[in-house]
Amino acid sequence: MIDPVALRQFIYEQILLEGTPPSSARIAERFGASRPDALRALADLKIGKTVLVHPKTGEIWMAGPFSSVPTPYVVERGGRQWWSNCIWDLLGAAVIVGQPVQLRASCTESGEPFVADVDPGQGMSSDWVAHFLLPAREWYTDIGFT
Amino acid sequence: VNRWLSKTGFKRGQVMAMDTLWRLSTGWYHDPRSPSWEPRSLPAVLAATGLTGEFWELPR
Repeated sequence: MIDPVALRQFIYEQILLEGTPPSSARIAERFGASRPDALRALADLKIGKTVLVHPKTGEIWMAGPFSSVPTPYVVERGGRQWWSNCIWDLLGAAVIVGQPVQLRASCTESGEPFVADVDPGQGMSSDWVAHFLLPAREWYTDIGFT
Repeated sequence: VNRWLSKTGFKRGQVMAMDTLWRLSTGWYHDPRSPSWEPRSLPAVLAATGLTGEFWELPR
């Protein structure tokens, strides 16, 4: 059995090192488990709504605030790059990286680029705004849309 | 935001300044590599950020 705390730590260590979460094959290799056991451990990793697996593949889809697939919300530091799921997660990724980063996104309406250099120790100010479309009670009905 | 709403037909949600969003992010996210990591209470984080009212209420 894969220890859920060790699994969570491994997932995020890999994200911070590689930019994306580990595959079930990589998890199986790391913990000396079979791939089905790794998929089961991911499915059982009940840590709120933080790590979500893809409904079809069972692989990690998002490990909040990071995305396993390319998105328009990009965090960059020293040539290393991470994707996040939305503007809230973009700032959250800067929090988790914990070092000065550049955030990149764009205005959903005009496409105007949003670029911000953020030092997590210093906070953030900007003339830009974020629009929360859905009320909180609907966020987890379809997290992809949210 | 208004132009996007006109284009898409969506109903307006809530507009947030980036410094507020930063406080929300630092309240919610903390390093999951820590062995003692536990998810925080989202209703508590929203309230601590000053996000109260019907729009910010989560299902019980």
